[in-house]
Amino acid sequence: MEAVLAAAEVRTEPLDFEAWVTEKADALLRFAYVLTGDANLAEDAVQDALTTACARWGRVSRADDPEAYVKRMVVNAHISWWRRFRRREAPVDDPVRTARAVGDGTAARAESDAIWALCATLPDKQRAAVVLRFYEELSYAEIAQLLHCAEATARSHVHRALAALKTTLSSERGTEGAENA
Amino acid sequence: MPEHDPERELGPKITSALQGHADTQGMQATDLAREARRRVHRRRQGMSVAAAAVLVAAAVGGVWSVMGNDSPVATSHSDSAGEGKAVAPERTSQGIQPNAAENTACPAQHPIQQVAGPSDVPTGTGLDLNTPVAGLTACRYSTGQSGLLGQMQFDGAVAQQVVDAIKVLPERNPELPVFKCAPQVTKPSEAIALRFATASGVKEIWVVYDGCTDAGFFTGTHTYGLFSAPLKLFMKDSVRPSGGTYLSALKDW
Repeated sequence: MEAVLAAAEVRTEPLDFEAWVTEKADALLRFAYVLTGDANLAEDAVQDALTTACARWGRVSRADDPEAYVKRMVVNAHISWWRRFRRREAPVDDPVRTARAVGDGTAARAESDAIWALCATLPDKQRAAVVLRFYEELSYAEIAQLLHCAEATARSHVHRALAALKTTLSSERGTEGAENA
Repeated sequence: MPEHDPERELGPKITSALQGHADTQGMQATDLAREARRRVHRRRQGMSVAAAAVLVAAAVGGVWSVMGNDSPVATSHSDSAGEGKAVAPERTSQGIQPNAAENTACPAQHPIQQVAGPSDVPTGTGLDLNTPVAGLTACRYSTGQSGLLGQMQFDGAVAQQVVDAIKVLPERNPELPVFKCAPQVTKPSEAIALRFATASGVKEIWVVYDGCTDAGFFTGTHTYGLFSAPLKLFMKDSVRPSGGTYLSALKDW
């Protein structure tokens, strides 16, 4: 992370921390929410990342893209072992589909909900890989760097998630077809 | 038939689903910066406090080490104590905690009042003379009704001098007379319990100098003959007896 930051340092004048946070808070929280699937965890992750960033704002603000840097901090915070350990203490509901596909034009919405629900069931790193790939639209090389793994592993995370998603959606389509028949 | 690519097929759907659910409703977007600054400030304060605590601990450890390395050999300070000035038990020797010395205070009643033979020191209470000592309270008791006759505290240096002076002594002093006495005067009229502060608690040496059967320093496991050199170190003020059967035979106590 330090190496990335050092390489990315291009700005000469530091940004004002408060102004920057005001501007970027929504984007950071949205990203964190997509990453964690939980509003409280998202707030915690963003707050922790901003605290870390604040402590070395002089360097962070000179980076080429401070937002990307702070997002990396959010990802790191989310997949850190102690955070996963802490989350074990707060059990969540079993993942269920939040909406049923019906034939009145809300199928797309139902599918979207099904994908969201499935993402909630993915392991942390797999989910992070999916979010970074399809929400942040990063390359596998960038994802691998962020998740501290090989590019092939990052690719594998995404493909496993896709396979699971496809299986779920296919079985649901089958169920709906049977119900409609 | 074109190759099926799940990423191309499902990717847009996932992107759409994630973007559709990415809202910040219910999340607190304000005060993030202020809270971050507050946490950084608190973290730095915590680190400062921790650093200060480490410095204090190191300083205390250094002082403790210096105190613990005090030589048991007489110094000007211990000399003055040896001249009879009762000293507070704040000085330590060999790193023994100072509060250990506080526990050496003389009890109102002591087993030495009942018996005073070499084997009468209760098991486990006698001092191993190779044990470092941090302080000493000399307790002079009457074996009659009077109880505690006098007491005096000495610092670690004097305590160690007393131990060092005793442990070189032979089992008995050949210069002392051997008495044939009546049973009523067999038992000493008084005796002194030397209560030493050690790392394992208070340990004692009994000093018997009266009566007519035994005389010397008793640890329970060893008996050392009665000689004047150790006596001169602690027989001061109220701990100094007016006389004793065997003391009369020691000229320079």
